[in-house]
Amino acid sequence: MTKTTKLDPHCEAIVLEYKDNLPLLQKMETEVLGKLKGMLSEIGLLVAAVESRVKTESSLRGKLELKGSKYHSLKDITDILGLRVITFYIDDVDKVASAVERLFTVDWENSVDKRKILEIDSFGYLSLHYICSMPEYPYRFEIQMRTLLQHAWANLNHDTGYKSGVEVPRQYLRSINRLAGMLELIDDEFSKIRVELTDYRRRVQALVASGNLDEVPLDGETFRSYLELGPFNRLNKRIASVNQAEIHEVPLMPFLPIFKGFGCKTLGDVSRIVKEYSEGAFQIATYQIGLTDLDIVASSIGPQDLCIAYLLKQGSGKAGIRLMFDVLNGQSESNDSLAELLLEQAKDLPFMNQ
Amino acid sequence: MEVKIEKNEDITTVKFKGRLDTPASQEVAATLLPIQENAAGTIILDCEELEYISSSGLRIFLSLRKAAATKGGKVIVKSINASIRNVFMMTGFLNLFEIA
Repeated sequence: MTKTTKLDPHCEAIVLEYKDNLPLLQKMETEVLGKLKGMLSEIGLLVAAVESRVKTESSLRGKLELKGSKYHSLKDITDILGLRVITFYIDDVDKVASAVERLFTVDWENSVDKRKILEIDSFGYLSLHYICSMPEYPYRFEIQMRTLLQHAWANLNHDTGYKSGVEVPRQYLRSINRLAGMLELIDDEFSKIRVELTDYRRRVQALVASGNLDEVPLDGETFRSYLELGPFNRLNKRIASVNQAEIHEVPLMPFLPIFKGFGCKTLGDVSRIVKEYSEGAFQIATYQIGLTDLDIVASSIGPQDLCIAYLLKQGSGKAGIRLMFDVLNGQSESNDSLAELLLEQAKDLPFMNQ
Repeated sequence: MEVKIEKNEDITTVKFKGRLDTPASQEVAATLLPIQENAAGTIILDCEELEYISSSGLRIFLSLRKAAATKGGKVIVKSINASIRNVFMMTGFLNLFEIA
């Protein structure tokens, strides 16, 4: 059975106001959460989590028991509704803050940027807290904005006594501070990496667009940029034309490990495979679908048949083709049968005898 | 063409029996429309007794996959025979579906 703290009449009146207005607070929670998530989506900001809660009665009682005389009414309890936005990157905290400022009225007097109030020689709970309101509701709410690492720090540090101000022995306090400093450094480093990656993407896109494919190393970023050029479109259209088929767009990134497995080091190497094996790929596709009435193909048909043509011509045999299907479709014994079928079909294909 | 639908919590199993050719596809598509509209869970397309699939049949599978992807669900194609696997392979759809 839950034990209910008996409070003085003034605090009990606040609890009663809370009970009477709980549905309104819940409505406010839904609305604030919806607006916040909507805005994050609109500005395209991917965050780790958005959490919310209306304070429970027992939590409210606990707060009032400690410092009830400080509050005149429920309106003074600024965290009666609390939201938390947890970002991946430190610089996204400011982007979330800017979104919050656009959405709600911020009570600057009561909002705290804990990132700024710390002494220069101390580390710790570095998050941003805004106290906000909306004209439609009489109550305020708190939005905390922090990174995943700040969130981890806050949770891990919760039981150390450091936050609650209890004296912690010097040697432990030093360890805690070292940890906090390290987390702050990691947060900064992640942000730097993101900035550098964005620069790298821009440079790669410029190189790909300029056609200097031999200068572009093959990796996830560069292959994605390369795919935007539609390197398999011509082959796909040629294959589709055999049956006047519709081309259904599907993701082509799964072919990256295949091309890497072929020893391609640059986009230029991939481009040469496209050029040299397109005829073989077309012959495979024609052989397979030419006598059917299949009038839909995936946009992966071109790269798939291109890779098959390459493997057949390189003499990779059943094992090589099976490995390709294992990488693309997941390991399965049935990939053996597909490989066998393709080897059989290849005997009749002109490109194999050239 | 027979289609049986079994629902167990958030897993819907569709069992196909016979030939999913162009004439059969229209009726099957209509039968599966409610599943497409509530595709938030897992949809298992049990093809153990499916003998043939045409382009229209492939389009039904693709529509279900698209609906599931939009609504946070997923489609698993189960027990396809060798000739249907070949159809998936030669149209390039083999690696699009989770095949069990």
